[in-house]
Amino acid sequence: MNAVAPKDLTVEHWPVREDGLPATLVAALARNAAESGSRIAFREREHGIWREWSWRQALHEVISLAAGLEARGLKAGDALTVVGDNRASIYFAMLAANALGAFPSPVYPDVPVDEFGNYMRFGDPRIALAEDQEQVDKLLDLRDRTGRPETILFDDPRGMGAYGDKGIVSIAELRAEGAQILAERTGLAAELVNRATGENIAVLLYSSGTTGLPKGIPLKHRNVVGGIKNAEAGQYFQRHEELFAYLPTAWVGDFIFTLGAGVLLVATINIPERQETALHDLREVAPTFYLAAPRAWDNMLTRVQVGMADSTNLKRRLFDYFMPKAIELERKRLAGEPIGLGERLRDWLGEILVYGPIKDFLGLSRAERAFTGGEAMGEETFLFFRGLGIKLKQFYGQTETCALSAAQVEGSVKLHTVGKAMPGVEVKIADDGEILLRSASVIDGYADDAEASAKAIVDGWLRTGDAGHIEPDGHLVVLGRVSEVVRTAQGERFIPNFIENRIKFSSFVRNVAVIGAGREELTAIVCIDYEAVGHWAERRSITYGSYAELSQKPQVLDLVAGVIAHVNQAQPEGLRVRRFVNLHKDFDADDGEITRTRKLRRGVIEESYAKLIEALYSGEARVTFDAAITYEDGTRGVLSRELEIREVPS
Amino acid sequence: MFYRRAGIRHTRYQDERQLWPLPFDRRLAILIFLLALAAPFIVDRLYLVSYLLPWIIWSTAALGLNFLMGGAGQIHLGYGAVMAIGAYCSVHMVRAGVPFEIAMIAGGLLSAAVGMIFGAAALRVKGLYLAMATLAMQYIVDFVIIQFPAISGGTQATIQVPRVSFLGVPIVGDRPTYYVALFVCVVVTLFMLNVRRSSFGRALAAVREKDYAAAVIGVNTFRYKLLAFWVSSFIGGVVGSVLAVCYYRAISPDQFHLDLSISLVAMVIVGGLGSVLGSFFGAALILFAPILLNQFVGFLSSEFGLAITSDLRSHLPLMLYGAMIVGFLLWEPLGLAKIYANMRNYFLVWPFRHARQ
Repeated sequence: MNAVAPKDLTVEHWPVREDGLPATLVAALARNAAESGSRIAFREREHGIWREWSWRQALHEVISLAAGLEARGLKAGDALTVVGDNRASIYFAMLAANALGAFPSPVYPDVPVDEFGNYMRFGDPRIALAEDQEQVDKLLDLRDRTGRPETILFDDPRGMGAYGDKGIVSIAELRAEGAQILAERTGLAAELVNRATGENIAVLLYSSGTTGLPKGIPLKHRNVVGGIKNAEAGQYFQRHEELFAYLPTAWVGDFIFTLGAGVLLVATINIPERQETALHDLREVAPTFYLAAPRAWDNMLTRVQVGMADSTNLKRRLFDYFMPKAIELERKRLAGEPIGLGERLRDWLGEILVYGPIKDFLGLSRAERAFTGGEAMGEETFLFFRGLGIKLKQFYGQTETCALSAAQVEGSVKLHTVGKAMPGVEVKIADDGEILLRSASVIDGYADDAEASAKAIVDGWLRTGDAGHIEPDGHLVVLGRVSEVVRTAQGERFIPNFIENRIKFSSFVRNVAVIGAGREELTAIVCIDYEAVGHWAERRSITYGSYAELSQKPQVLDLVAGVIAHVNQAQPEGLRVRRFVNLHKDFDADDGEITRTRKLRRGVIEESYAKLIEALYSGEARVTFDAAITYEDGTRGVLSRELEIREVPS
Repeated sequence: MFYRRAGIRHTRYQDERQLWPLPFDRRLAILIFLLALAAPFIVDRLYLVSYLLPWIIWSTAALGLNFLMGGAGQIHLGYGAVMAIGAYCSVHMVRAGVPFEIAMIAGGLLSAAVGMIFGAAALRVKGLYLAMATLAMQYIVDFVIIQFPAISGGTQATIQVPRVSFLGVPIVGDRPTYYVALFVCVVVTLFMLNVRRSSFGRALAAVREKDYAAAVIGVNTFRYKLLAFWVSSFIGGVVGSVLAVCYYRAISPDQFHLDLSISLVAMVIVGGLGSVLGSFFGAALILFAPILLNQFVGFLSSEFGLAITSDLRSHLPLMLYGAMIVGFLLWEPLGLAKIYANMRNYFLVWPFRHARQ
């Protein structure tokens, strides 16, 4: 299509740190173009085939875009708002902003216009980059309200033909403008590569905003390079990985693990065609490094289980025979017990018959390094994938540390810990049980919020807000948020999130809110997983027409009661969930019940469902609940639902 | 279980259309080709001459007929006659001192010319009527060959094939004859595999599905029907000359009668219409099943002392043979190739039931 010819754009010098690493991401890009210029840097699926950019071409793209952005008025210290799914052009534009000493500020694509302003508070973003027409419309709406962004760039030209609006420019046009400028001004490319320093901001991310407005978290190049250096030293990353860029661009994981590690460690970044085709494209890519949230691993497990339940007799029997054996063997391995010859032989056979084909099906047959993080992972899921032979490991980190703090190490993986601190990361526990971290990747402070910065960062130590402890062998155990520790009326301390996660380990439960702070006993509001429970119901010939109807089926209530009863077994007497209600809908970020990263907003839930919660404690068997709903077009309505309240059998 | 698909990606659309995109299929195809090449050195002479060689030749013939029946959807009950024309033409030319390579091509061309004339009937008639027209061709060609001593050498005559060489290698002994047949087989197979990916193959497919519709979307049905008969008959003529030179070595009219045509049609249908692999499967079943069943029944009667009369002894294999063909077609009406495809799919989606989960 419009692939720019790989003109000779060699840059000989780039800013280098004292330890020899490139000081910025743009410097790393220039280094890659000079040292391994013909290696494939980016691969993007477009209409079914993979389009490739070498490092040399990538540098040319980035520098052209940078020249174009500068001409359009992007200055050092400015933010470039970026909204959209993963696209090579979006990554190029992010790096281009970096070259100018400016920084990208990615926003989740599903943020509605009303909230969008919250994500444009810092860095005076007058230019925004949207992936497609949908996002451009949103930005236009925003411009009508606030006058910003003045310039809107877009990547996908589909549907954009009729937009005559001033200030809407396609990325291709911008690149052409930049290439023109580059051709006219010799030496500009070298100057652009050397303009930014390690002290410039690489990316501005936002905290999830569980409580109040999201805070701006600026990661400097120094932090990113330092963090990835630590991770490489700990062998969590290696050079020349095949990466799969499907995570939301506004999540720290995507910027660090995909773009940061990709550029610094000369990987190949593979970008799926669309979010909907990501699972299919994953198989074509077969990445060597794969990061997914625990939820995504759970979904993958559900997918395999649903598929196996449907499979033919022989195949299902083989799976039912080998899979439990694999999990048992993995348990033994983790415990460090000796493994007999017979078990090895069976494992080898299982690899040929079951594990290998499943890994191939998932596209993870080459995934040497597989990670999960962000929240706790279910034991079942964890052991399943490790049993398959995917060396899944948990990592621990927060946006403030570039997500690179601690991770499990192969050979000493323990289920309940998140592993050891990475090389170069210091960790200690404060007197109140809070985890404190200090490393090169920790930010200096929040954006324009000295008060919050002073609270969170003391003498270079980051107060993570997580409660935890360090085991004698150096493994870090994370219990939950310090702020989330609450007490029942009897004074028992507990973290609702901890219990919720355990309930959510069941594939039938998608979301759950455990209530009990200041109450006599614990109760729960459960949102079933429509897909998993729907399939479960179909196999039992239970008819249903909607989520709401399915959730109130007696069999489904029994199913959920069983799940909670199972979790209760591991809970102390006073912290068992006694009653629950199946909600008629899933918690939705658009209703404010969860954040975009799927964390519960307890305040909102307790307020919206106050009547429901009262009913849970009043001992009623049924409750009529008037649900306020927001339709896709923004109008609001009220829907009356009768929900059944169940006791959990003990 | 055997198929691995992770990590297969294409940067060009051409790559997506390759014959065997999956490594396992590719390796299997290479392995079978190497085995076919090494066969004269690893199998016994008896098996080479009486099993492998006829299998290769009949498979090639089935491929040629399959091109017409499966590829273009035109039935042909006179394919034996097409082969006869090629065989007689090339043998007469070889006897006149023309090199075998040229004689083989000439035989193909003459078959193509005659076949196209009868194929012209397909422009007007379809289905059963076309079957009748091609059946008429079978009888007319048989009649002409027998009645013209210049061609057949007399009513009961057989014509010896003189010693010939192919591309400088004399065709004497088992190995050279096998390799000549294999060479022709490989060329025809490659043509058949690739023709489906060409505009020619797609035009034929359109004609096969519905000739009116094909004409509506701009396919010249007149041209493509004649071309289909031309190409198919050309292959038939070449295979006829290979059959005469490499296998029979002496030809007589009764070798090319209706039963040859019928058995070729059976090979195509049992193997699978339109399938390259099916032609090989079909030829194997039709050629070897009678022999194996005969041996099996003989084994039963001699080893277990089953008291079967000699009448039954000679008819039982034929009955079983018929039952077997019917059985296979009942099991899978789309032929042996479809049975293979089902098995392949079973392993392709292993350990799931469907490709999509």
